[in-house]
Amino acid sequence: MSDDLLHSPLHDRHQALGAKFAEFGGWSMPLEYAGGGVLKEHAAVREGVGIFDVSHLGNARVTGPGAAAFVNACLSNDLGKIGPGKAQYTLCCDDATGGVVDDLIAYLYGEDDVFLIPNAANTAEVVRRLAAAAPDGVEVVNLHTDYAILAVQGTKSDEVLDAVGLPTGHEYMSFVDADLDGASVVVCRTGYTGERGYEIVVPAADAAPVWDRLMAAGEPHDIRACGLGARDTLRTEMGYPLHGQDISLEISPVQARLGWAIGWKKETFWGAGPLRAEKEVGAARLLRGLRASGRGIPRAQMEVLGPDGAVVGEVTSGTFSPTLRQGVALALIDRAVGDGDQVTIDVRGRSEAFDVVKPPFVQPGVREA
Amino acid sequence: MSPDPASYPDDLKYTAEHEWVRQQDGSVRVGITSYAQEALGDIVYVQLPEAGSAVEAGSAVGELESTKSVSDLYAPISGTVVASNDALDQTPELINSDPYGEGWLLEIEPAEAAAVDTLLDAATYRSQVESA
Repeated sequence: MSDDLLHSPLHDRHQALGAKFAEFGGWSMPLEYAGGGVLKEHAAVREGVGIFDVSHLGNARVTGPGAAAFVNACLSNDLGKIGPGKAQYTLCCDDATGGVVDDLIAYLYGEDDVFLIPNAANTAEVVRRLAAAAPDGVEVVNLHTDYAILAVQGTKSDEVLDAVGLPTGHEYMSFVDADLDGASVVVCRTGYTGERGYEIVVPAADAAPVWDRLMAAGEPHDIRACGLGARDTLRTEMGYPLHGQDISLEISPVQARLGWAIGWKKETFWGAGPLRAEKEVGAARLLRGLRASGRGIPRAQMEVLGPDGAVVGEVTSGTFSPTLRQGVALALIDRAVGDGDQVTIDVRGRSEAFDVVKPPFVQPGVREA
Repeated sequence: MSPDPASYPDDLKYTAEHEWVRQQDGSVRVGITSYAQEALGDIVYVQLPEAGSAVEAGSAVGELESTKSVSDLYAPISGTVVASNDALDQTPELINSDPYGEGWLLEIEPAEAAAVDTLLDAATYRSQVESA
């Protein structure tokens, strides 16, 4: 493994747990753990509780007079719809094409302060674009390695946070500042698994003791360290897009059916022109869910074929759903094909049948009170 | 419990493709090594040749699919498939939990009985894996 890769402040914890590592956006992160594996780690989140180190995710802060208004004129979603203490899923689109530079979570602290969590590989580019556009007095700072992020996800995540005295039960997509043994942390009711859970933003220097406290508190609930392999099967079951696969500079949010994350009524945002035009005429292809009728497991880049054998699309994310014990996929498909239709995928020479369905593939539990 | 990934029984023969071969009366039983199952991760789907299929040493005869990737299964020797492990259709995880036992894949009747002798012994396979 290349030494050029960045390491999480929890790297030694993962090594001690026998993690297998893989590269994610320039970081060496746990893929799965010894004694675990994708299936057990996935099940822990769906049925109990799991903890993920997602410190490869970026952090950036936009501050200064009118910081929120500035961010709102750049990123796609409407920050005007939320108040301080709330977070929002939003997109950074290319102004010229409407393609997706990154998808991210924006944490609104106040009109002069917005905290952003972009993807690992795109943090520098998002910061560069925002900094270049920022008016005098508004500062955009890349804090990528200043913070670790621990995601406690699963039906029993409240029990684990309660046991260490962290706040729980706040509304979905809201966040609360807290203190844990002197560490200033932010507890966000967010995640990428579809289960109830929290993402905890921790100063990098405090990450290891916070991880240790959460692991110890989770022991009575059989908490399991979960790698990014399980994170991918969990998010795919929810139909959550992954940047670089299901959304990208080439795949617009209109095609990915992320119109709900765009503030269409705003005066402007990056990519407003091309995206409004694409919405008006309708996207030529749309991101849809595919569920196997048989045993086939779809993989990214496989061709999707219509009933007459013509190519109608391409798989952007595909995996075995551990919950359904079946193949599921997200695929960009010609708009003539709709939910309820049947398609086939050429899985290494075998023609496998799939139903076109509306994700999620598994019922999410994120909003449960 | 996961098997010890560095366990290579002495009574088996091995291939560079991380398969094991056990000599039985009239046929050989084939599976993948503990090293291979560990490297593949959780196996979720197995595609095996039907009994009666003729197979040629080194050719791809099936697939092992894990949560993250798919790998070809190669015939370790030439011959005729006489059985495949039907239990793997519903419980492919047996390959991870018991790669040398319940997680066996195929039985092949060798075209040439001596072919098995040309495969790697446990010590040679172990040294190949450890130097990889």
